[in-house]
Amino acid sequence: MIEVAGSLKRRLAVWLLVTVTGLGALLMIEARVSSQRAAERAYDSQLEAAALTIAEAVQWQQGEPLIEVPAAALQILATRHQERVFYAVLDADGEAVSANLPFAIEPSWRERAAAEPLALTARLDGEAWRLYGREVDSAGWVSQEPVQVWVGHTRAGRMALAGELFERTLTRFVAMVLLAGVLMALALRVALGPMRRLRRVLRRRDADDMRPLDARVPEEMRELAQTLDHLFARQRQSREALLRFTADASHQLKTPLAGLQSVSELALKSEDPADWQAALTTVHEGAGRTSRLAGQLLSLARLRHLGEADEIAPLDLAALLRETLLEWAGREAARDHDLGLAEPPAGPVWVRAEGWAIRELLGNLIDNALRYTPPGSVITLGLERLGGLEVLKGLEGGDPDRERVDEVALFVEDDGPGVPVEARERLLQPFERGGRQDTDGSGLGLSIVDSIAHRLGGRLTLAAREPHGLVVRLHLPLCDPKEAP
Amino acid sequence: MTPRHALHPLLLAMWLALLMMGATPLRAAPTPLVVEAALDREVVAPLLEAFRAAHPEIRLTFRDRSTLEVDALVAEADPAPDVVISSAMPWQMARVNQGYARRLDSPAARRWPAWAKWRDEVFGFTFEPIVMAYRLDLSRHMAPPQTHADLHRLLTTEQDMLEGKVTAYSPLKSGVGYTLYQQDARYTPRFWDLVAGMGRVDAQLEGSTRAMLEGLSEGRYWLGYNLLGSYAMIWAQQHPEVIVQVPKDYSLVMMRMAFIHRDAPHPAAAEAFVDYLLGREGQRVLAGQTPLFSVRPDIVGPYTAARLRDQVGERLFPIPLNASLLAFVDPQRRAAFLERWRREFRRQD
Repeated sequence: MIEVAGSLKRRLAVWLLVTVTGLGALLMIEARVSSQRAAERAYDSQLEAAALTIAEAVQWQQGEPLIEVPAAALQILATRHQERVFYAVLDADGEAVSANLPFAIEPSWRERAAAEPLALTARLDGEAWRLYGREVDSAGWVSQEPVQVWVGHTRAGRMALAGELFERTLTRFVAMVLLAGVLMALALRVALGPMRRLRRVLRRRDADDMRPLDARVPEEMRELAQTLDHLFARQRQSREALLRFTADASHQLKTPLAGLQSVSELALKSEDPADWQAALTTVHEGAGRTSRLAGQLLSLARLRHLGEADEIAPLDLAALLRETLLEWAGREAARDHDLGLAEPPAGPVWVRAEGWAIRELLGNLIDNALRYTPPGSVITLGLERLGGLEVLKGLEGGDPDRERVDEVALFVEDDGPGVPVEARERLLQPFERGGRQDTDGSGLGLSIVDSIAHRLGGRLTLAAREPHGLVVRLHLPLCDPKEAP
Repeated sequence: MTPRHALHPLLLAMWLALLMMGATPLRAAPTPLVVEAALDREVVAPLLEAFRAAHPEIRLTFRDRSTLEVDALVAEADPAPDVVISSAMPWQMARVNQGYARRLDSPAARRWPAWAKWRDEVFGFTFEPIVMAYRLDLSRHMAPPQTHADLHRLLTTEQDMLEGKVTAYSPLKSGVGYTLYQQDARYTPRFWDLVAGMGRVDAQLEGSTRAMLEGLSEGRYWLGYNLLGSYAMIWAQQHPEVIVQVPKDYSLVMMRMAFIHRDAPHPAAAEAFVDYLLGREGQRVLAGQTPLFSVRPDIVGPYTAARLRDQVGERLFPIPLNASLLAFVDPQRRAAFLERWRREFRRQD
């Protein structure tokens, strides 16, 4: 069943969105910080210029620093944003020689400014100010003490510049994201092109076209295409097998039917009731064989096309084996053979299987043994408990634990002529008789057995028996006795 | 606001009806508004009347003081004045820089020319040329001065005749005078020769334009330097013996600066007042009925900056309304300037 779970485009869009949002947030924080830093730098240089201009005007008179504040310095301080301005010239003791606002310059600031020019942000008079201080060496005739020049202004211009820079970065980023989104959509369209082509190719295919795909695909889709090709190949094989089976079946049915026709024709030409009697007997036997053949074909077809095994339940294999053997031992066909049961394991042997399937399987194996061995042959049925088959515990490969499942082998052995090794595999094919044309078997028995073994999840093995003969084994996993009814 | 001796019966009925409806009486208690200004009440009276008519809900108190008194009141008055107006531009600027002003956000304030405002907190709302004035007597003895150079020459060549007859601002007593001298000194170092020349003729230093004009009319002075054109022009209209001369080389232009006090007790009324000063109505009154000259270029009247420019040409040099004004009030710079002034004034050569 095809379940549509999300769309590739949406998934990509979500990923893009998540990445862009996360990355964008970081980028915005960085942009905010760096634009503020840039604004501080730009305006700090104006503070520096103003401080230098004021420092230039410092002169000494009678041992006192004298400063005529240059108007230009104040205009530089105010900037075009018309900031409130502050300036102070401090003597070596930190006393203001000249100051336009009563801001207190802290001693720690003065110490730092003495080492190197210092810019800092402080809250004064209920407003944030940027202050800048530097020490000026200035020699007079009487005193050579250094003075400190402090300047400052409010921060409206800085905020405006930082906001402007940030806005510009933001605009660029948004434009980039939009562009990337559009390009992504286009790229997706192009990238999904091969997928669409493959879809078109598949859609155009005829229902019975099982040839390998003829399409150009990118590396990422090679596996998909190969899987499709394998699927087609398997379908082709199975279809060919079906056709072969049908042809074989028709052929097999045709031969006895043709025999019936010729016998009945001969009998019709004859006037002798004895001939009629003989012909009728032949027709009867032929019809019986044909009917059995048809029955086998039917059961093989049914096995192959039966749906999921739904009636599988635990059953006692030992009891079933005994029961089936008793039934067959009483039959006419087993009269000339020594049909026996090997010593079964103690107690019931529980397997998960359908009763009819096991019966059918046993019937075919016994029938085969009776049919392909000379009279007087010994045919033995039996069960073997085989401990220790290792299987993976879970279906998925993730679990390294292996579980030991006991299994049972159901065997049917005979001391007939046996089957050459090279013919054994072929025996499982329909209409294969292992080169024996001397019997009236149809060659379907082992096919049916094999199908049933598959159906029950078992394994069928054919082996030679010493000194001669054949052993057919069906390995089935034992089920937990607790599940037994 | 005529006193009403008897209420008309109909009005009384309406008033009672309003009272019964629970509505506020029409004559609600007016909002007081205190304006401390260095601006002659007589000169500005038409503007005040117009404002009172436009805003009957505001009771305007206009106090006229000297520039230095106004400046002191900004920091000391309790309660603070609502609006502060002064022609002492550097002092006003310093107060704004100290954070005493409140930002005005109104259409008129936004539209106000950028060169005549600072931080949207303080506005230069007049445009007053600085002039020379002389008595007719002077022109009988010599060619009246038309430029600063003329004045300097007269002070040198006619030293004896002008002895004690020249008047100018005292830089110490008047903030306006100090500002004007600072600005003069900025333009040319020859200004100090002019100061020395005034010293040689023993120029009389006054504290206000009015005192100089009175001296001219009384005949004590023949020549006055750096007078406020706004006052001098009005005076000359009423006193034909006084002639006003706008210097032909350059003429400084001074602006009255108004700001709303940060701690104004009645900020809404203060905003209404300053908005009126800057608005079309107030500026039209300034241009038409006072000699204070309107700054706005879209106002038509006898007293506008545009018209003054047409008459005087491109020789008008407004004192720039920016942070450089702050340098003028720097105590050390002021002391150094006054010191030099005194030195030059007493120079003997």
